[in-house]
Amino acid sequence: MAPRQSFAGRWVPGEMALLFVLMATLPLWIGPVGLYQYLGIEIAIWMIYGLGYNLLLGYSGLPSFGHGAFFGIGAYAFGLFQLRVFESLWLGMVCAVVAAAVAGAFVACFLSHRRGIYFALLTIAFGQVFWFVSIKWHAVTGGEDGLLNIPRPALELGVISPALSTNADFFYFVLFVLAVVTVLLWRLVHSPFGKVLQAIRQNEERARFVGYNVWLFKWAAFTLSAAIAGLAGSLFSMAQQSAYPDVMSLHASGIIVMMTLIGGGFVSFWGPVIGVAVYFVARDVLGTLTETWLLWFGLVFVLAVIFKPEGIAGAWQEFTGAKGRHALARRAMAGLISAGRK
Amino acid sequence: MALFEARGIHKRFGRQVVLERIDLSFEAGRLSGIMGPNGAGKTTCFNVLTGRFKPDRGRVVFDGEDITGLSPSAIARKGIARSFQIMSLFDEYSALENIVIALPDVRARGFNMIDSLSADSEAADRAAAVLARVGLAGREHRRAGDLAYGERRALEVGVALAARPRLLFLDEPTSGLGTEATARLADLVQDLKRDHSIVVIEHDMQFLFGLADTISVIHWGQVVAAGTPDALRENKWVQRSTLGAPP
Amino acid sequence: MSHILPHLLNGLSLGLLFALIALGFMLIVSVMEVINLSHGSLFALGAYFALVVIDPDFAWLGSFGEAYRALPLPARYGLAFLIAPALVAVVGMGLEVCMRRTYGKKAEYGLLLTFGAALVIEETIRVLWGPSEQYLQVPRDISGAFLFGGLIYSKYKLYAALFAAIAIGLVWLFLERTPYGAIIKAGAHDSEMVRALGINLTRLRLLVFGLGAGLAGFAGIVLTPIWGLRPHVGIDAVIPAFLIIVLGGIGSFSGAVTGGILVGLAVGITGAYASDWSLLSMYLLLIAVVTVRARGLFGKKSVLEA
Repeated sequence: MAPRQSFAGRWVPGEMALLFVLMATLPLWIGPVGLYQYLGIEIAIWMIYGLGYNLLLGYSGLPSFGHGAFFGIGAYAFGLFQLRVFESLWLGMVCAVVAAAVAGAFVACFLSHRRGIYFALLTIAFGQVFWFVSIKWHAVTGGEDGLLNIPRPALELGVISPALSTNADFFYFVLFVLAVVTVLLWRLVHSPFGKVLQAIRQNEERARFVGYNVWLFKWAAFTLSAAIAGLAGSLFSMAQQSAYPDVMSLHASGIIVMMTLIGGGFVSFWGPVIGVAVYFVARDVLGTLTETWLLWFGLVFVLAVIFKPEGIAGAWQEFTGAKGRHALARRAMAGLISAGRK
Repeated sequence: MALFEARGIHKRFGRQVVLERIDLSFEAGRLSGIMGPNGAGKTTCFNVLTGRFKPDRGRVVFDGEDITGLSPSAIARKGIARSFQIMSLFDEYSALENIVIALPDVRARGFNMIDSLSADSEAADRAAAVLARVGLAGREHRRAGDLAYGERRALEVGVALAARPRLLFLDEPTSGLGTEATARLADLVQDLKRDHSIVVIEHDMQFLFGLADTISVIHWGQVVAAGTPDALRENKWVQRSTLGAPP
Repeated sequence: MSHILPHLLNGLSLGLLFALIALGFMLIVSVMEVINLSHGSLFALGAYFALVVIDPDFAWLGSFGEAYRALPLPARYGLAFLIAPALVAVVGMGLEVCMRRTYGKKAEYGLLLTFGAALVIEETIRVLWGPSEQYLQVPRDISGAFLFGGLIYSKYKLYAALFAAIAIGLVWLFLERTPYGAIIKAGAHDSEMVRALGINLTRLRLLVFGLGAGLAGFAGIVLTPIWGLRPHVGIDAVIPAFLIIVLGGIGSFSGAVTGGILVGLAVGITGAYASDWSLLSMYLLLIAVVTVRARGLFGKKSVLEA
């Protein structure tokens, strides 16, 4: 169908292979370039979160500004499972994903017939409800301090169960989850489901008249995206060995939007991946230079939205000319046509 | 019994009555026209018939089944497709993708999340055939947003056609087209008539009188005249509702 | 009944303050079709500007500075009410100029730009004024406490509610009684029509953004003596503003005021019985209303939904 048919059809395209190689070799080069191992874990977790989030923002055109809630729910659910039920990696993660998915599915019932500004405002409202509950419900969430001393269970693989207690080992586990999520999401966005979501983003009305139950698709996309956020949250609670309300705040929810956008989530599958890497590296590199790194990052972000809203991936596409040349040709043609009309 | 019947349709927006006691029936295998001056309620009528608005009163029956008040997507799944006067395409998709997404069997596996749609060469072939039929062969991989105006009009019909509808509604398909392009579109509709039941809204009299088997004239929200083009030529409403004399 | 009265009063005054915060936000969202996420930061900025006006600490001001600081506090406080919102309005206008490239694109870009602006403003505040909590001085006449019906009230809270009521009244007069107000109201319902009337949309947007930002700054001065002044105090302001606008309906003045008062009452009454959860009630109120009435209490169908 598209010229890049074989590319889209593959399970692991070139860019993905590059990502996996870069990430897998990260422990070898992250020290020498002056950064540290834990950063790799953070980046991988947020990549999962960002990829799942972009299913909503970039592919479905649904700007959720309260997605931190589902990340947080995943983190709390995992922590509570370890602390209150019993220590188990897989069951804890399943519990986190299910909890976030259920919360997402519930919220999506209120949102799926909305779009644009009302959608955004309602996601903020729901995000705040969850954030607020996490702060106030001391008995369960531990209040503002959150849950502390969450164990990081061993990796149960039937016969063997290696410990994940060192960050080096844990990193490879997170990387494995990232790889699975990336492959599945890549398949998903090229599947009929993914194509319908994009069609709904482009023209909801037409999608409806073509016979798609738009509400159900939006609902499913939201739920799925929430579930992935919950998965990332469970990894986060293992990484931090704690879970706290901060990740659910409006600020944190805004940051994930920002990462996704600055990388180019509107124009590329890889937007959130790029955005997450840029954000964390900027935080650590700029952070060592200046206390006010967020000011400079914010300024760059503002300039990016003004001048290059398609983000880094968009700039790259234009630079390599894949889409850029067409866009230029289009603009030139449009100019000619309007000149001809005059 | 007719393939599609509307009985006693009323529709008001606030205090304004837009449709009043509309009765329409469309036969299978025919091309039925709806005409009337701007603001007469033609498009509202279409919107009620295809599920965008619910009628305040009245019944809509398709193939013996009451479809009054069903959602647009449910009506579409029953086999009714429509095009739009104000063009409504998936602009970032290629012409081919616009058609593929509207194919009934793609719709049937809309929740398939694993298989690559672009690798589905069978769907692509069928979509290409639809494109060829509406005269867009060779334009498969152009973004819909980049197509010329006339081509977008053709794609608009193509997307409706892709659903393999049992009844095809076309909302002012010649809107904004020049004489030559209108003639081409008339040829296309003439061709579609061979194997489709079609309902067309038009204010271009010539276009409609040349193609339609029966025509209903809507004026002030009511059906004021109905019949074959020949029978309608002398009708005062027809004469009043158009600028020039009928052909 | 009598024991709930103080909570009702408290809720009502809180509601007026919430309405004041929401007002500027409402003006911008309804005319510009932009969710201004930097509203809270502009709110904070207003308070920090007022801090400077009330107690400037610039050596280069020289003898003028000393003479100025010798002025009585009420005079400086009054000046702050004039100067600080005006400065915030200028900042808001600058932001509007930055936003021009996003018009006509996806609504998300406007949202993101203002989110970025919020970050920048907040971080700038941190740099200029430091991260710690500060206090906005209030003249003695309107601070302190008084007893009424056996309960202690904060005098300032009542004055703050009064300031809010006055500002709301002025905005209402502006919208209802001036030609520019009429244009803004028209724009709130139909920006196409404003364009069709041949009104200079560029200037209208600049004015509205300035006005909205100025109102945010004004609200900041009124509220921060109650809430305390921190660089991130804006978040406490912007969240109720969102909720109130959705609750009242986008583009509706009376919706914003009614929504504000409803939220204030909900918070006040819940505060009487479960103070820990008082803020949650406003979220629940919103969700309940919006579930029943998609466009809020007074909302009309908006171009934003298309």
